[in-house]
Amino acid sequence: MKAPVLKTMEVRLTVNGQPQVWTIAPGDLLLDVLRREGYFGVKRGCENGECGACTILLNDKPVNTCLMFAAQVEGCGIVTVEGLADGAKLHPVQEAFLDHGAVQCGFCTPGMVLSAKALLDKCPHPTEEQVREALGGHLCRCTGYRKPVEAVLAAAKKAKRPRAAKPAEVTR
Amino acid sequence: MFDSVEAFYRPASVHEALRLLQRGKGQTRVVAGGTDLVVEGDRSIRFLIDITHAGLTYIKRKATGLAIGATTTMAELEESALLGGLAGGLLARAAASCGSIQIRNMATLGGNMSNGSPAADMAVPLVALDAKVVIAGPRGRRTMPLTAYLAEPAEMRRRSLLVEVAIPEPPRDKRAGWSFQKFGRTALDIAVVSVAAGIGFGPRGRVKWARLALGAVAPAPLRIAAAEQALVGRVMDRAVMAEACAAVERAVHPITDVRATAEYRTELSRVLSGRALEECAGQAGWAL
Repeated sequence: MKAPVLKTMEVRLTVNGQPQVWTIAPGDLLLDVLRREGYFGVKRGCENGECGACTILLNDKPVNTCLMFAAQVEGCGIVTVEGLADGAKLHPVQEAFLDHGAVQCGFCTPGMVLSAKALLDKCPHPTEEQVREALGGHLCRCTGYRKPVEAVLAAAKKAKRPRAAKPAEVTR
Repeated sequence: MFDSVEAFYRPASVHEALRLLQRGKGQTRVVAGGTDLVVEGDRSIRFLIDITHAGLTYIKRKATGLAIGATTTMAELEESALLGGLAGGLLARAAASCGSIQIRNMATLGGNMSNGSPAADMAVPLVALDAKVVIAGPRGRRTMPLTAYLAEPAEMRRRSLLVEVAIPEPPRDKRAGWSFQKFGRTALDIAVVSVAAGIGFGPRGRVKWARLALGAVAPAPLRIAAAEQALVGRVMDRAVMAEACAAVERAVHPITDVRATAEYRTELSRVLSGRALEECAGQAGWAL
């Protein structure tokens, strides 16, 4: 166990693939630190674990950063929405959100996109029910729930199935 | 936010966690997921002890049943094949009903118990399964019934360290069924009332054993012994079921709060108990 440092401490982690060392107060919440570090895609919403706007992927799993202490993420890997695009090339889920008009005011979008990515990484071809479950922890006050669900299903459809119908099977 | 916190510890063992907990003199709180602790927002906390590195994340089969480490997350419970095979997947189903995916990825079984909410999703099925908790202290470990642990004042639970939940092997009858019923204002809200039930049948629909526990209807989850007694030894039919549900209605003493009135919770207790018993019978292949 590391000797505790009073009032400030260091946390080592990676954010969007980049190793980082943060100096934080031991009682800092993860949401506050991420925004302080410039990750404004992590939205400050309800601060109560209800709305999902502050969602990130922590070791590939969606979590609410408003409910966590920053010190909990020592040694972890974090992905924020800023880490999804590859340069100018958007992530397929982001593309699908644009194509389907799944973005209204955009406040809930980063969180929804990350939860959708986590779902598709784990389950590339989900049912609508699974998509709705995956997005269940996100509130959209523009009330646009249908289009995000369609977007995620479309992104899944677009992704290659590992055992897609091969010519041999088609001509059988 | 938590400006008074002076240190955040990440002990690598239960021994070390205990030492820190004792030293903290009541201004220390244990963190696992953090989901309840942060919302509670106690600004007087001076020391935090993160126990998620203390080797308490596991689900193990033991000779006497199953043992679940305190820092096992709801998501891990939900996906566990061992739990899926225990009591008709009762615990896995309850875990899957707890909050959103984001919450389930953080929230732990130990936190759900030590926070002591009368509506705690895992507490109700665990009470139905006669679960025990293992508490680590300076003088070693002790095991106590979960119901006794939940009856302790919150302050006492905070000074102790829950390390494991032990579930005795439930009766293995071929004709048995289990049910978890939770009614919330929304799919993600905590329970207005929740019910966990199990029934084992002998020949010709005669009830061999029955388990019935309710949440959010008393200061802690309740086992409804009167309802269980109304079932055992009887041939299960609609009338017997109604008797058991009436016993539930008499045993609960809910409060009125922002989610529901006491009257509504009482009525809901009867209705959900009926649904739970019906599901148990259905699973066991007994037509009511």
